[in-house]
Amino acid sequence: MKQYVLRRVALAVPTLFLVSVIVFAMMRLMPGDVATRMVEGHAYAPTLDALRKDLGLDRPVYVQYLEWIGGIVLKGDFGRSYWTRQPILEEFVRRFPVTLELAALTILISVVIGVVVGIVSAVRQDTASDYVGRVFAILALSVPYFGLAVLVVVLPSIYFKWTPVWTYVPFTTNPLENLKIMIVPALVFGVTRAGPIMRIMRSALLDVLRQEYIRTAWSKGLGERTIVLRHALKNAMIPVISLIGLQTPLYIGGSVIIEAIFRLPGVGLFFFDALTKLDYPVVQSVNLIIAAMVVGLNLLIDLSYAFLDPRIRY
Amino acid sequence: MARRVVLAAFVALLAVLIAAPPAPAQQPKRGGILRMAEREAPNLDPHLSVSFLTHSYVSLVYSQLVRFPNGPEQKHPADFAILPDLAEKWTTSKDGTVYTFHLRKGVRFHNKPPVNGREATAEDVKYSLDRFMAKSGFRARFEPVQSVEVVDRYTVRITLKEPFAPFLNHMANPTFTAILPREAEERFKDFNHPDAVIGTGPFVLKSYEKGVKVTFEKNPNYFMKGLPYLDGVVIEITPDAAARLAVLRAGKAELPHIWGWVSPEEGKALKKTNPEMVVTPYLVIGQGIIYFRTDQPPFNDVRVRRAVSLAIDRKGWNDALLFGEGCIESGPVPCAMKEWKLEAAKMDPAKAKYLVGYDPAEAKRLLAEAGHPKGLTTPMFHWPGYVVPWRSYYELAADNLGKIGINVELKPEEYGKYISTTYLGKFEKMAMGPSTPFTEVDDFLYGTHFPEQPNNRSSVADAELSKMLVAQRREMDPKKRKEIIDNIQRYLADKAYYVYVPQWPQYVSHPPYVKGFQHHDGYGLGLRLMYTWLDK
Repeated sequence: MKQYVLRRVALAVPTLFLVSVIVFAMMRLMPGDVATRMVEGHAYAPTLDALRKDLGLDRPVYVQYLEWIGGIVLKGDFGRSYWTRQPILEEFVRRFPVTLELAALTILISVVIGVVVGIVSAVRQDTASDYVGRVFAILALSVPYFGLAVLVVVLPSIYFKWTPVWTYVPFTTNPLENLKIMIVPALVFGVTRAGPIMRIMRSALLDVLRQEYIRTAWSKGLGERTIVLRHALKNAMIPVISLIGLQTPLYIGGSVIIEAIFRLPGVGLFFFDALTKLDYPVVQSVNLIIAAMVVGLNLLIDLSYAFLDPRIRY
Repeated sequence: MARRVVLAAFVALLAVLIAAPPAPAQQPKRGGILRMAEREAPNLDPHLSVSFLTHSYVSLVYSQLVRFPNGPEQKHPADFAILPDLAEKWTTSKDGTVYTFHLRKGVRFHNKPPVNGREATAEDVKYSLDRFMAKSGFRARFEPVQSVEVVDRYTVRITLKEPFAPFLNHMANPTFTAILPREAEERFKDFNHPDAVIGTGPFVLKSYEKGVKVTFEKNPNYFMKGLPYLDGVVIEITPDAAARLAVLRAGKAELPHIWGWVSPEEGKALKKTNPEMVVTPYLVIGQGIIYFRTDQPPFNDVRVRRAVSLAIDRKGWNDALLFGEGCIESGPVPCAMKEWKLEAAKMDPAKAKYLVGYDPAEAKRLLAEAGHPKGLTTPMFHWPGYVVPWRSYYELAADNLGKIGINVELKPEEYGKYISTTYLGKFEKMAMGPSTPFTEVDDFLYGTHFPEQPNNRSSVADAELSKMLVAQRREMDPKKRKEIIDNIQRYLADKAYYVYVPQWPQYVSHPPYVKGFQHHDGYGLGLRLMYTWLDK
């Protein structure tokens, strides 16, 4: 186990290295030039050359890369935004709780809905409740979350003169008010993400329910609830957990639009804004931090398999 | 005879009194907080950003030497008369090169550290204007300024290198000349830090929660006695346009945009769902332009450019996209700039047709004459992200031009690329987009037609025109200047350096209890809000 964790951590290094190189290169391949944009009408420096020098863009690309990655690895310094000159890590840390809370609530909602509907669908296969569950899953899969978000914000405002958009209040200031604000975006996002979970849950549970040991359990005279929840569910959860792991980047990516529509001051907007302004260091560092989190989360998920299925050894 | 005249006058007076009893002017009520939904400003330092959001945000806080009329003072939204602000009066030397401003005495900065409510003086004016000329992206506007001198504590003298007619308009533009306290920059490095936002204006910046909201409170010591009426203003940061409109409908904000703007389509929809809302169309300053590389083929040939202009069905366009409410006579001077605009009817019809006419047959003939009997193909560079109705504008232009044999390849660009290339005239053949809504006619003439100007997107280099462009800048007599500007418009009519498509109206919307909020094209929001009050 220990060796496995060490091996996985070691493997994360080349992964993150590749991420850093790709993001760094992609930013520089984007059309437009950040220095031109900052000088034209923004007066960040008297001339283009002065600004390039100031931002360090006059040096060879590999030097720029080494300086950026070196700052992170050696000093934990993620750099500063070109535009605001503020430390990126500071802004990230300030905004991250919002995105984390949104992601956590979204995962919770999508898992609860997906797993419950998936179980009902599997256990009551080919009955009315199964069909309803499957229709729900297809709907959730096919409705884009950003479309649903706009509808949820706009329609009640037209018909009921009400809209689920509030002024953000941090959890630490007022937990109840905060949950009231977060629940609608999390529901919108969670419901659309519940579709794939429900489908995987259903098929995995159907597989498990047909296994020998389940038949043995039935023949021992155990109740349905015990068989499904105690014996079958744990094994059927493994693909579901992998799916949640795979979906993690989507929770972060999707937060860009959800945060914009529900006016939540999270990382998504910070990242998107930086992208449109060609703020290289912000895009690079935020990407790298998120990539590191995804790698870490996936590791945790892999480790959780051992808890769900003791036969799995590392 | 005399008796009859007196009698007639008396009867007339009586008739007037009976027919039109003076409507009891509603007395403004004091108090209340006005909330608006808007995107976050990229920066709060008025000299480090050219964004209208920055300037609108901080215009609540800062004053200038002179200003534009607002609220009850303005005759129309593009009224750019010059009124006193921090300067109570000013004189101009006969040759138009020396301006002397006399400041109001006893005007104090907001009571926030490190300024702590000290008096605003001539030193602050010099510091602020010098900083503007060193740092602002708009500093070219003050290029004719030779020096800013402090004469005494309350007097500032500005000397120009040459007479410069647009000078006072630029001085009154809130985008350029906020009066800032030096100590704040010394402590906070610039004016982007919310604690550094300290001015002498109608509102005080109370708090700024990044990404959430900005709260302003009424300045109790504002030098215009009795103003503002509101107790405060809150900007709720709302990045998404649909959400901004939704919070207006739901009564969670009074303005769905920092200037109350919604597009005509949104305005019509809003009126349907919320008939109580006040939705007022304004013909704002602006232009939709097709621009060319007039220094390269095929658009160096005036016949090709004229063909493009003749291909635009302006009336059909106005009916199809703008509910017939737009202005189809857009030209080098925007429709809304009534004081300076020369109507097409007052031009030689043979020339004016190339500015506002529609004649596809003639357009085809001109193309053939210019050596393109089978038409031609051209790219049209643009940024698709401009608000409604812009996306339809590009498509309609391509459609109109297609009918005379000009095959348009729409080339959408990413904003960063567009604003640093196409927007500055660096593109191939043809491009399209809106112009910046300037407040000074010089920006629409000199700025867009004089060689090497960044806004000369059509690469115009016309010696005869350039002479007139310089002359209108130097003419200090408004009447004579108007004559030159009329002549420029006559001259430009058939040159088709730019092709103008119909100008769209902008809708301003708010709930009926918001009173006194009048649109003004002068960028400043603080003065509009100074006269705004809530009837509840």
